[in-house]
Amino acid sequence: MRAAQKPDGVWVFSESPAVARELLSKGRDLAGKLGTHLAAVVLGEDVSETSKDLITFGADKVYTVQDPSLKTFQVHPYSAVLTELAQTYRPDVVLVGSTRSGLELAARVAERLKTGCCTECSKLDIDAEKKCVVADRLILGGNITETLMIRSKPQIFTLPKGVFQPLAKDASRTGEIIQVQPKTTESPVKVLERKPKQFASVRITEAEAIVSFGRGLKKKEDIPIIEELAKTISGVVGCSRPIAEDLKWLPIDQYVGLSGQKVAPKLYVACGISGQIQHITGIQNARIVVAVNADSKAPIFEYADYGIVGDLYKVVPALTETFRRLSSK
Amino acid sequence: MPNMIVLAKQVLYTQDLRIDRTAKTLKTEGVARVISESDKNAIEEAVRLKEKHGGKITVLTMGPAQAKEALREAIAMGADEGYMLTGPDFENSDAHATAFALSAAIKKIGEFDMILCGETSEDQYSFQVGPRTAEILNLPQVTYAVKITLQDSNIAVERNLEDCYETVESKLPVFVTVSREINEPRLPTLMAIMAASKKPMTAWTAADIGLKPSELGPEGSLTEPLRSAVATGERKRVLIEGEPSDATEKLVTALVGEGVVKVA
Repeated sequence: MRAAQKPDGVWVFSESPAVARELLSKGRDLAGKLGTHLAAVVLGEDVSETSKDLITFGADKVYTVQDPSLKTFQVHPYSAVLTELAQTYRPDVVLVGSTRSGLELAARVAERLKTGCCTECSKLDIDAEKKCVVADRLILGGNITETLMIRSKPQIFTLPKGVFQPLAKDASRTGEIIQVQPKTTESPVKVLERKPKQFASVRITEAEAIVSFGRGLKKKEDIPIIEELAKTISGVVGCSRPIAEDLKWLPIDQYVGLSGQKVAPKLYVACGISGQIQHITGIQNARIVVAVNADSKAPIFEYADYGIVGDLYKVVPALTETFRRLSSK
Repeated sequence: MPNMIVLAKQVLYTQDLRIDRTAKTLKTEGVARVISESDKNAIEEAVRLKEKHGGKITVLTMGPAQAKEALREAIAMGADEGYMLTGPDFENSDAHATAFALSAAIKKIGEFDMILCGETSEDQYSFQVGPRTAEILNLPQVTYAVKITLQDSNIAVERNLEDCYETVESKLPVFVTVSREINEPRLPTLMAIMAASKKPMTAWTAADIGLKPSELGPEGSLTEPLRSAVATGERKRVLIEGEPSDATEKLVTALVGEGVVKVA
């Protein structure tokens, strides 16, 4: 590969094309503020369609690497290729989607490039004084927002999925597709099997409405009270960490919180959830939060838009009933 | 018989942390320091592998003097010996500087077949130290393990990803990060904790592992914290009073007004 003459603006990468589109939206914003251009990196076996697609969603150029060894995400071959691309074309900023694969990739690539990385950023902005990207991220169980800068280049940031709305598709946009063929390497780790997870019809991370419950629900047999409300508002059921981790009443993928699912529904109803920061952090991107709790001093009311103090066994069925009445009118 | 090194971090018990909303400060007084949750799962998994296959478990931590308690607890759970990196040089190291220090210590400890740690720490939540350490040591990484099967010089690991469980295979030596789903860590008995004090525990300074102070702490870090503030998620905080039927009526009206519910 040829060596780049000058640094190469803002890059976005995600192994998921849908997340890459979201990153392009934030990347456009940052590239505009930095007065530079925006590029996407796409790896895979045959990614010509994805590459063209990303131009219509805001990329000025797309670096495309096609090789059978890159068909599905594997951290070792992907890190090797991404590292070589970054060394050759020298981006200033790289935005990576904070999927589980994206996180392990970002950290490995950052170390190989001897550069800093801020993972799971809740906000990225340009610091006027330092003229560089600064990141906010939550630490100490979501209690503290820390603002950081990265002293080395490229500056790598990982951003959660589902937070940035992709730009409107513009089929008339043009951009450059740069085919690159770096050295590919065989993975020292071999994939033997992939078992897809079984999900409810709608994934909690994609749901428009979520009804969650916590320890305020006394018995597993009472879950239908919550399910009824969820069904009535076309939502899905979620829960707090102890329900999934300690009591195991719901699968681990259903719990909402910093260490669980981070959700962004239009409506989030928290029933009998005390409102530990761990949980609150998982719902910070919800549009409207409703809390139902018997304890008027429960912290959840501090983090809710609407609260009803009361016994969930009375309030939740009443709420279901009210919604039903309204929709049958 | 696998020779295992487990990396474990002692953290503030985040579930007990509270914000003083008037003073806008974090209340840390009286909050216990514990082994970060998924690191504890990593210790437990190493102990289970040892129970099945034999071998040896070395625990490595980095932190203030109290981090010795974490080593003692790990030994009480079944680890054989402990090392800690401690001293002012290590303070305020970012993920890179931390991985750099841990790698230097691992090289000094010497031989191993497997390194284990939690997928992320409960306090920093960066998911970086595992992969960065694996990179420095030039080891294959297998992240988010929920099941580990050891066979001769091979390891099969089931991994927890968003959409699937993926089973992978690697040769030893390997670096594995574990998810909390992998096991239920045992609670060591008081007897075991007392007995653990007699097991070997070694404290190392930067010089002991051949590192310069400039390679650690803020100077050795690649990220720089500029400021921090208590997190305040601003919400409307409207309390709706009344009997359940009245209150829910008012709530639903408000939600329709917000445009967040679809009613025919």
